[in-house]
Amino acid sequence: MTRVPQALRRPAAVIGLALLLMQIALIVLAPIISPYSPMEADPAASLQPPSMAHWFGTDITGMDVLSRVIHATRINLLISVSSVALAFVVGVPLGLVIGYYRGWLSGLAMRIFDFVQAFPIFVLGMALVSVTGQEIWNVAIVLAVLFIPIFARLIRAEVLSLRERPFVAAARCSGAGDLDIMFRHILPNALMPAMVQVSISIGMAILLTAGLSFIGAGVRMPTPEWGLMVSTGAQQMILGVWWVSLFPGLAIVVAVLCFALLGDVVRDLLDPSRARKTKAPAGVALPVPGPVPGTLGESR
Amino acid sequence: MLAAFRSRWDSLPRALQIVLGRLALVIPQMFGVLLVTFFLIRLLPGDPAILLLGNMATPDAVAQLRDRLGLNDSVWTQFVSYVGNVLHGDLGVSIFTSNPVTVDLMERAPATLELIFYAMILTVVIGVVIAVVSVVRAGGPVDVASRIYGLAAGAIPDFWIGLLLIYFFFTLLGWAAAPFGRIDAMMSPPPYVTGFLTIDSLVAGDLETFWSAVGRLLLPVLTIAIVNAGALMKMTQSIFAGVWRSDFVRHARACGVPERVIIRAALRNSLPPIITMIGFLVGFLLGAAVLVETIFSWGGLGQYAVQAVMNSDYPALQGFILVASAFILVVYLVVDILYELVDPRIRV
Repeated sequence: MTRVPQALRRPAAVIGLALLLMQIALIVLAPIISPYSPMEADPAASLQPPSMAHWFGTDITGMDVLSRVIHATRINLLISVSSVALAFVVGVPLGLVIGYYRGWLSGLAMRIFDFVQAFPIFVLGMALVSVTGQEIWNVAIVLAVLFIPIFARLIRAEVLSLRERPFVAAARCSGAGDLDIMFRHILPNALMPAMVQVSISIGMAILLTAGLSFIGAGVRMPTPEWGLMVSTGAQQMILGVWWVSLFPGLAIVVAVLCFALLGDVVRDLLDPSRARKTKAPAGVALPVPGPVPGTLGESR
Repeated sequence: MLAAFRSRWDSLPRALQIVLGRLALVIPQMFGVLLVTFFLIRLLPGDPAILLLGNMATPDAVAQLRDRLGLNDSVWTQFVSYVGNVLHGDLGVSIFTSNPVTVDLMERAPATLELIFYAMILTVVIGVVIAVVSVVRAGGPVDVASRIYGLAAGAIPDFWIGLLLIYFFFTLLGWAAAPFGRIDAMMSPPPYVTGFLTIDSLVAGDLETFWSAVGRLLLPVLTIAIVNAGALMKMTQSIFAGVWRSDFVRHARACGVPERVIIRAALRNSLPPIITMIGFLVGFLLGAAVLVETIFSWGGLGQYAVQAVMNSDYPALQGFILVASAFILVVYLVVDILYELVDPRIRV
């Protein structure tokens, strides 16, 4: 049967997916659909209000705001998605190990996570980016470092309860080694909250990247980046030049909203009460259903 | 020995146990903060002395600072001397302002604290009121609006909404005060008492300055509250809804207790997690203040930190991180203590 799952038919899911597709299209087609070059200054056309020639107007150096907003989708999503991917790739195994082996080292790691997470993420990000150098990749790496504790913690919490389940004991009795138990039996069952978190974190990463660039601790001019574009328009906003800052800001809102909505979609798709209806992948132990399925997502 | 200590400890009043237990935890945390700020500068490629003095420094000055920081000694000796300096209130000299960082920070702290203080109050009022109304009148217009707001608030960049507010309320409508600093440039600030211009001007009996300060506070406070109240609202909603469904509420309603009294009792019961959330909120607000202060030329810690980043002013940045972290640790300490005091069911 090729029916569309229930979770994908809710209006929020449709909007979220449509926005995602739109952004992917913008990323792929950026050079074709943007009317001007995103980095070409035209002093003669400085600060033009939106018109037929420039739909979103031009900024102080005469660069076309629409073209820059379109091209910035690439940089912003590249940074956010790669930082979250990196945090996921490092954080998930880390959380798995910390949850599985519970020695003093695990305790220490948790204290360090507590410590990192206690700080305002933006202040810490700002300090780290300015210290490591203001390059695109440094922003991504710093964000990844800040997100690692989130993933490790989520996985650890799941592992702590899963490792006491009978199916783990069963696997151990049938001779499975630690690595086997961790990655083949526990991990697939522990991933759900982390998967939902991926989408939410991408939204957070977009906001943080934009904020960092806004204060000048991130991507630099003339690279098209949303936060940077808002900041180039910030001085003129008070004089009534609203278009330079408005449109990139809207792009941020749309992008973050998109990933927030997708987070809900992922949760609905992976919800255990729905997942049980579909066939379980071979070789994966199904979790014993909890007393109240569906509260899993609520409690986080 | 241990048993004697144990019985002495148990005989202490509960509140004192809570406070002492928490204070003991702060010391290793503060130590961690010092470690982080110390290594922050040493992460940088290059000579820390040159980084701390700036590119214009003379070789003599560099040699002198190398000596003072003990850069020729081992890392641990360096760390000890750094901790010693910090304990004496010496955070180095800002490259950009050439003032001692401690002086700079002390000068700017009240501006940020005042901003965060009022932003906090507004955030809590907005968040809790919307949450309570949306739960009590489930399905009503406030409930629907709260869902849209909850989704949107998490997606709006604070620096952007601040600019939009300036555009609408200052440039277009002319209702709000200009986004340049804490009071009108023509006015002289009231004599220093608390550092809060709103309080100091009232103490000095200067109503004109007071209204100017209030006017200047309006937009930045609103900016921070709009963005941050969403998270608090969602959290409060889920906690309060849980309490609202509980048996004691149903019982109270069956007994004919007026709605207002029930709401108050239910709110009292959802207070502990909300207090924790508010503690975390202070951290978020401090982060938000960095961006919002820049937009409103607020002249507080946040703007100082941004300038430090832009000018590669590492002593200032280091000092800011240290002070901001210490401030947040103190807030968490207070929150933890409050949490345990508010909920007598928690055992120490």
